[in-house]
Amino acid sequence: MIIRRTRSVCPVCLKNIPAVLEQEENGRIYMSKTCAHHGSFRALIWQGGMDFTAWSRGGAALAEGQGLDCPGNCGLCGEHESGSCCVLLEVTDRCNLHCRYCFADPKCSAADPSSDPAFEELEGQIRDLAERCGQPLLQLSGGEPTLRDDLPELVRAARSAGCSYVQVNTNGIRLAQDPGYVQALAEAGLDIVFLQFDGTRDEIYEQLRGRALLQEKIRAIENCGRAGIGVTLVPTVVPGVNDRDLGDLVRFAAEHMPDVRGIHFQPVSYFGRIPGNRVAEGSVVGGSDPRGSTLGGIPEERYTLDRLMTDLAEQAGFSTEVFQPSRCDHPLCGFHAQFLVRPGGRLKPLTNISHSSPERGTARDNREYVGRHWRRPEEEAAPAVLRDSELSDEMDFDTFLYCLRHRSLTLSAMAFQDAMNLNIERLHRCTLHVYDRGQIFPFCAKYLTAVAEI
Amino acid sequence: MEEKNYYTIDPEGKLTCMKCGIPLIKGKAKFMYLDNGFPVELPVCPQCGFVYVPEELALGKVASVERALEDK
Repeated sequence: MIIRRTRSVCPVCLKNIPAVLEQEENGRIYMSKTCAHHGSFRALIWQGGMDFTAWSRGGAALAEGQGLDCPGNCGLCGEHESGSCCVLLEVTDRCNLHCRYCFADPKCSAADPSSDPAFEELEGQIRDLAERCGQPLLQLSGGEPTLRDDLPELVRAARSAGCSYVQVNTNGIRLAQDPGYVQALAEAGLDIVFLQFDGTRDEIYEQLRGRALLQEKIRAIENCGRAGIGVTLVPTVVPGVNDRDLGDLVRFAAEHMPDVRGIHFQPVSYFGRIPGNRVAEGSVVGGSDPRGSTLGGIPEERYTLDRLMTDLAEQAGFSTEVFQPSRCDHPLCGFHAQFLVRPGGRLKPLTNISHSSPERGTARDNREYVGRHWRRPEEEAAPAVLRDSELSDEMDFDTFLYCLRHRSLTLSAMAFQDAMNLNIERLHRCTLHVYDRGQIFPFCAKYLTAVAEI
Repeated sequence: MEEKNYYTIDPEGKLTCMKCGIPLIKGKAKFMYLDNGFPVELPVCPQCGFVYVPEELALGKVASVERALEDK
């Protein structure tokens, strides 16, 4: 049964084509589409473990004639519905890892910093994006941004340009090795470290990142904690690799709170560099996925947003009702939930789908939410009632506000789109933008990667 | 646990329940959010249970908690 009409792209030639969401009797929902030149495609969107209609809240579908030029004519245009919450700026193409999965697909060599954009060039871009994107949260990304020795100066430049929050997207290797560098980032005004953190076991890093990294990740968290920088753990969730580690990830985060402020899950999407994907330029990256039928390395059995929520709830021991969709981004793009952390790491939910407002939120609200939850609050003395006792279900307002600042954990997710499941309706609401040489793109349009014709 | 006061009734008895026509007295009340309770002492009507929430509390601590829990 067709439940939604939208537009997408042909995964081979990336031409804009009509698409439908079809629900099967077992609750599974697929995106189906046909390209006149390259055939028919379908991608799993929803596994059916949660109520799709309740979650997606039936917002307006694309109107007739809308979205016909997407994403071919990106940057942002008059059809785009949302402002910028977070703007990503790549500050280097170099990296010191060679991950099997990477959205940016950089040159994986730490040498030759002469290939980096000059500081003055980036400083000008930061001023431009801060003004045009409404003082967004700026994410300095790469490549691996900590390979730049002048990253603290870039953070300072972002601060003086008026960016509301500054975040560094990193694998954490240098942050583990160089506490002085972490301190310099903190003094420059860095709010948030977005730390690639795929699991609590080294086998996971060996599979996804090519080597054991857990101890370095823990040292990076400790160094950030000492410097007062909030850490968000960012796992790429790949079925068969770390989808059974989600509960342990939550327990790890709770144990390392308040150094760790939250986990931002990213279910694997198929763009940039993935095993078996043939990138737009035609080079084969290698490997193949052993599970099920594939198209250019993309398995038909995808790890959907609802499966992430049901797995997480089951493994961490709470109800899926704690998850709420964003009021700003499209509901299929992610979720968030907040908890108080009780002694022993037990979580007490502070969110519930029943409290989710149907009113559309703004990019500014979205940004203030993530900034408030991910940055480290100022140190302050704990209320007397908390010093030796169990967190009670009843507390005065001041104690509760203290706990929200210092004893809470945020779980959130972003489900990036790829050429198989790209939904223009979702793209129109995107608040995660990429700045590239004066143009501003929705993230999933910027990194969209074609799969080769079979 | 010990209730916390965020206001003073000054002078006590000045506030009257419009429905019952009798003075409000100091009593226990509780704000609820999901299964979190926030006990406070507020002026309540001893007859119908009406609770008076002073503006300074509504626009102060209650608004702070609301903002802190604001949805994404």
